[in-house]
Amino acid sequence: MFSYTSRSLIGVSTSLRVPVPFRSLSSPTQPTPPEQEKTPVQDPTSTPAAAAPAEAAPVTPTPAATPDATPVATPAATPAATAPASIAPVAPMEAEQITEPKVKEWSERLGAFGEENRLPRSVQAIYLRPLRRKVEYGLPVCDLQLRSYSVRNVEFFTDFAIRAAYYLNLPVSGPVPLPRIVERWTVPRSNFVHKKSQENFERITLRRLVQIKDGNPQAVQAWLAFLRKHAFYGVGMKANVWEHDSLDAGKAMDASVAEVEEALRPELAQFGQRKDNSGPGTIFDTLNNERFAERKRL
Amino acid sequence: MSKTTKMAGLFRPKKLDLSGFVNTRLIRDNNKRMAFEQTEPERQALRYMIRNTSLSGRVRAQAQLQLAQMHPYTRPTQIKNRCVASGTARSVFRDFRINRYQFRMQALAGELPGVRKASW
Repeated sequence: MFSYTSRSLIGVSTSLRVPVPFRSLSSPTQPTPPEQEKTPVQDPTSTPAAAAPAEAAPVTPTPAATPDATPVATPAATPAATAPASIAPVAPMEAEQITEPKVKEWSERLGAFGEENRLPRSVQAIYLRPLRRKVEYGLPVCDLQLRSYSVRNVEFFTDFAIRAAYYLNLPVSGPVPLPRIVERWTVPRSNFVHKKSQENFERITLRRLVQIKDGNPQAVQAWLAFLRKHAFYGVGMKANVWEHDSLDAGKAMDASVAEVEEALRPELAQFGQRKDNSGPGTIFDTLNNERFAERKRL
Repeated sequence: MSKTTKMAGLFRPKKLDLSGFVNTRLIRDNNKRMAFEQTEPERQALRYMIRNTSLSGRVRAQAQLQLAQMHPYTRPTQIKNRCVASGTARSVFRDFRINRYQFRMQALAGELPGVRKASW
């Protein structure tokens, strides 16, 4: 899901747009938001001009990206490694006025891209943690279990499922990492006599549980259908769907008894011993008759 | 003996309905499976009559005889799991329907999804 190069690029663009003192980058001033799932580590410092959706975590420069960005932005003439970081955002501006190179620095080009042509919010959300709807009642409606033999696939598809649920207005809890299923087999390497030399094989099934809470049943069905349509290779899915009824379910069932009986009458009329079958003769006559002999073909 | 071999042909399909690795013994096992599937209701009816104490002794004895006279291929105990890749009948894994040797070869070749060498 996360391509690390593009993540770091976004971090660079924001850091160039807003001159952030290096001290504030190195020391976190804001409390760390709670980690919802295994996303790559995000820098707790948030830039004020970060173009992020309201609910999402703001775009933050990754710790690996920011120190790299400063030396690149400074002109090659000044030694980059020892330059004070607070001057760094100002330095490329001066260099631009003097020389005006035809091909701009890649960081500037990225900065222009970030300012003028921003990514659509939905596309930008891919680089952030998945958005989630607020749970109102917390009534479980659907349990989706995803299974795979590879962590990568199951993590990716779980993320996809959670994001899809957000756009279908379904509150999600999870992913819950369920216990792994480990199957092991031991086989002799060669013939029976060489029992001493054996080989072990294993198959580990990884599982993730995604639970939908108080969602519309039709939306849940649409969500499941969407996931089936876009099923990922090597990932199996299993869903338990619960339907909830009002407390007057008993009364409604009582009211529908007459209809059900009417519908079942032709079926129930055939229940019991057949009159044409209870004639004279033993069961062997039945067994040996033509229809039976035809069936057994003997 | 001659009767048995003659009768066994009854269960054999006109056209070979197996694919992949095919063996005489594999075909025979498949025939047994087909025979059991075809005669299962009759077999169950006779078994029911034999055990039903409300029936007369004569009827039950006749049912016993009839069950004993059924072709051996119709017995479920004749069915034996065989390796689909080599036809071997010994140490066949139920999970993969493959012999232990074939399992090792295919696992090492990476043909069984998720199976890898274990060390712990």
